[in-house]
Amino acid sequence: MAMLVVVTEAVPPRLRGRLAIWLLEIRAGVYVGDVSQRIREMIWEQVDALAEDGNVAMAWASNHESGFEFQTYGTNRREPIDHDGLRLVRFLPQEAN
Amino acid sequence: MGFIPLKPIPEKDRMSMIFVGMGQIDVRDGAFVVIDEVNGERMHIPVGSVACLLLEPGTRVSHAAVKLAATVGTLLIWVGDAGVRLYSAGQPGGARSDKLLYQAKLALDDSLRLKVVRKMFELRFGEPPPSRRSIEQLRGMEGARVRKTYQMLAKQYGVKWKGRRYDPTQWESSDVANQCLSAATACLYGITEAAILAAGYAPAIGFLHTGKPQSFVYDIADIVKFETVVPAAFRIAARHPATPEREVRIACRDAFKQSRVLQRLIPMIEDVLAAGDIEPPPPAPEAMLPAIPEPASVGDQGHRSK
Repeated sequence: MAMLVVVTEAVPPRLRGRLAIWLLEIRAGVYVGDVSQRIREMIWEQVDALAEDGNVAMAWASNHESGFEFQTYGTNRREPIDHDGLRLVRFLPQEAN
Repeated sequence: MGFIPLKPIPEKDRMSMIFVGMGQIDVRDGAFVVIDEVNGERMHIPVGSVACLLLEPGTRVSHAAVKLAATVGTLLIWVGDAGVRLYSAGQPGGARSDKLLYQAKLALDDSLRLKVVRKMFELRFGEPPPSRRSIEQLRGMEGARVRKTYQMLAKQYGVKWKGRRYDPTQWESSDVANQCLSAATACLYGITEAAILAAGYAPAIGFLHTGKPQSFVYDIADIVKFETVVPAAFRIAARHPATPEREVRIACRDAFKQSRVLQRLIPMIEDVLAAGDIEPPPPAPEAMLPAIPEPASVGDQGHRSK
């Protein structure tokens, strides 16, 4: 079991309702919960199938160096990059959007 | 848009329980919500992440909400004030015929039943019971030990104790300690029943207890009762709280979390039944297997949602 955070943007209400089945929506589009790896993967399948043109970021606590891992769905100005084996986020300038 | 089915998650990955009193329970955008009709406020309930929802008087549930709870394998329990009386539960038992027959076989054969009861005794008191005792004798020993444990815990928490006395029809009439104990055991029975159903067994087929719709629930709950809810109830009773039920529920939730009860219940049920040392009966050779087999699920075996 590990802490999980899901942040959604411009996703259909269908997915938002679906996420509220397992997680708690603490702010619009921001979901938190404490789930096992299997359940996290199951939740990601839901995101993958239902997010359509929206974008989603999911982060969870793990015993990585940073203490967490994350993955994203769809496009956003923020892009994950690999920096010497450490995953960081690159922020694109406005015009590139 | 892709279609993606909604499936139950295992009991061990869930929170213990949520009590809901007052409000219209419905589904909005596919999520389980409680709507306060007076000011139109919605409260989301992560229904798939709890073992059971206890609905108190003052709630109305829509058909869609019951369907959603069933799909995610969450037990709905309709209870009276303070959760002490149980009116109904929303999941039929015995979803697995092989497990049901296995449980019934163990309960029907006297020597197998004794083995199961001895295992329950061993798990409960941490030592195997003396050999060559009948179930009746074991029951007597258990009763004596239970009375002593109540006295000891009452003394430890500084609670006046005149014995476990309660009138199920007149909840207010018993003393604070007994009220707290009743509220606490109700919480334990809720999650125990959810676990028994999730594992695919029947709550009514008990080994020590018999003749009640929840006989097996009482059997299993008794194993962990004195390490979880009873100390919690006495601790609350000692403080003479203004709202005993609320505090007892919070204390029970903490006790369940600390002793990892939800993770232990299903393995414990299997362990107790395995003491009979028989295999679940195979299907008869001419029996028809399902034409459309159940799809694989991440949840527990007894969840009957598609």
